Amino acid sequence: MRSNKLVQIGSYTFLFIGMLFVLAPLYLTLTIAMKTPQETAESFFALPTRLYFGNFIEVINKANFYTFVTNSVYVTAISILLMLLLIPMVSYAISRNLNKRYYKLLYLLVLSGIFVPFQAIMLPIYRHMSNLKMLNQTGLIIMYVTLSFAQGIFLCVGFLKNVPLELDEASNIDGSGVWRTFISIIYPLMMPIIATVLILNSLWIWNDFQLPLIILNRHPDFWTLPLFIYNFKSEYASNYNLAFAGFFISMLPIIILYGFTQKHIIGGLTEGAIK
Amino acid sequence: MDYANKTGGSAQKKKSFAGNKAALIFFLLTVPTLLLYIVFFLLPLGMGAYYSMTDWDGFSLSYRFVGFKNYIDILQDNRFLHSVRFTFLYATIVVVLKLFIALVLAIFLSGKLKLRGFFRSVYFFPAVLSMITVGLIFNQIFYSVFPSIGQALGIDWLSRNILGNKSTAIYGIALTNIWHGIATPMVIFIAGLASVPKDLKEASLIDGATPLQRFFSVTIPFLIPMLTVNLVMAIKGTLTVFDYIVAMTDGGPAFATESMGFLIYKHGMAEMKFGYGTAEAIYVFVMIAIISFIQIKILNRKEAGQL
Repeated sequence: MRSNKLVQIGSYTFLFIGMLFVLAPLYLTLTIAMKTPQETAESFFALPTRLYFGNFIEVINKANFYTFVTNSVYVTAISILLMLLLIPMVSYAISRNLNKRYYKLLYLLVLSGIFVPFQAIMLPIYRHMSNLKMLNQTGLIIMYVTLSFAQGIFLCVGFLKNVPLELDEASNIDGSGVWRTFISIIYPLMMPIIATVLILNSLWIWNDFQLPLIILNRHPDFWTLPLFIYNFKSEYASNYNLAFAGFFISMLPIIILYGFTQKHIIGGLTEGAIK
Repeated sequence: MDYANKTGGSAQKKKSFAGNKAALIFFLLTVPTLLLYIVFFLLPLGMGAYYSMTDWDGFSLSYRFVGFKNYIDILQDNRFLHSVRFTFLYATIVVVLKLFIALVLAIFLSGKLKLRGFFRSVYFFPAVLSMITVGLIFNQIFYSVFPSIGQALGIDWLSRNILGNKSTAIYGIALTNIWHGIATPMVIFIAGLASVPKDLKEASLIDGATPLQRFFSVTIPFLIPMLTVNLVMAIKGTLTVFDYIVAMTDGGPAFATESMGFLIYKHGMAEMKFGYGTAEAIYVFVMIAIISFIQIKILNRKEAGQL
């Protein structure tokens, strides 16, 4: 009993100290964002003397902050919608026809994409999209959808292997075709894996910096949040308070979302990795 | 199994109709994916292979075909070779420390604690932030906050920005990556620890195994698949490091922190060596493909041994 208590106390101490390391950068970000330059000069670590939101207001007014949030939401939402239609569709076709050469080949071809790091195609993608006049949000969305195939199809085909063929059969006897069967029976059954695909890809797209840097950086009107915060840095390098206000405000949407859906996010990321 | 054949027996009246139509619809389901994959993935990959054999600067109207010249030049290019060394050193530091700390935290967070759920959500939180934002925040912290502590306490090495020094910058970036990247391997280890059957633990307790013995003989076998998954993800993530470099050092000081991915970007987008950059990208692609392939082979063997 006593050694158990000691273990408990030790664990709590260790975890509390670790927590300070995790939270310190966030504490600094938030407090510096709420101070004036004079206050910061006195101490980086002290709490702000009052609730001062001037830096946030300045960031929001000076930069086109709402535009960037809207852009991020738009790109993420449309990409995800397309993925959640296309990936289950093709995965269903593949999983029910794996004995045919075409489907097997398609599956292997898409899966081999896992071995290609983004940087291997970064330069040609820029060239290609520029040739197609697609250095814009549409081009970005198309790239996200295409790059999500390898992992998404791998997860969904793996899931569908455990969905019994008898379901297809029964539905076919009832007179439903392939499409009806897919939409009304298979798709609803796939919800757990679709949720995983949704979470993995939403986080990736929302936070991604490399693709927008390649495809959108020339037009400030198109910027997503990560691009905004990157370009913001050079503009406000001399004013810590404004810079940290920018960092904090660009994290705010995901912080709020995490607050409400943390169980799902943690579960989704774990599922996606282990499968 | 073939849809039409399988259902043929029970749906006699519609056999031929259902058969061909079903096959056609299945095919149509794959068409959008196939087209997107060819046009926006395979085609750029092929374009890259082609450009890598040219001397194109990225925007001139004309360029020459130079065969394997870029590939040969790269092998003698100290800047590229340095970026390879930097990237692998960086990957080693980050992967080892990250997975070790993640495992220790996972063990603590799997104990019987009242505040376990709370701790887990706090420790996981950094994983939802973007690399560029985290990189910029740590850049500011290294630039202004740490030196202010150093000056206040009179500690010399802490008074300077470690990102501003050629030999220490790599540790600043590694520290940032570790802070940010621990969460995901941690929850995967937690899932592994949760998969250890209760009766196995109890049996070893009854046998009088010490906690350390128990950990090595009972828990570790269940952690090996998780370790492999974490290794695959962490190695790929660190060998392609890009965002942190852009946010924190921009490859400097004096090219000291140029990763392979960053150098490809620099050459192709900023220094007008597009053809050369794509050739570097092909080298990186081959390196990472071989490493991932070996890892997946090992992973499959390990899993087979497990079952």
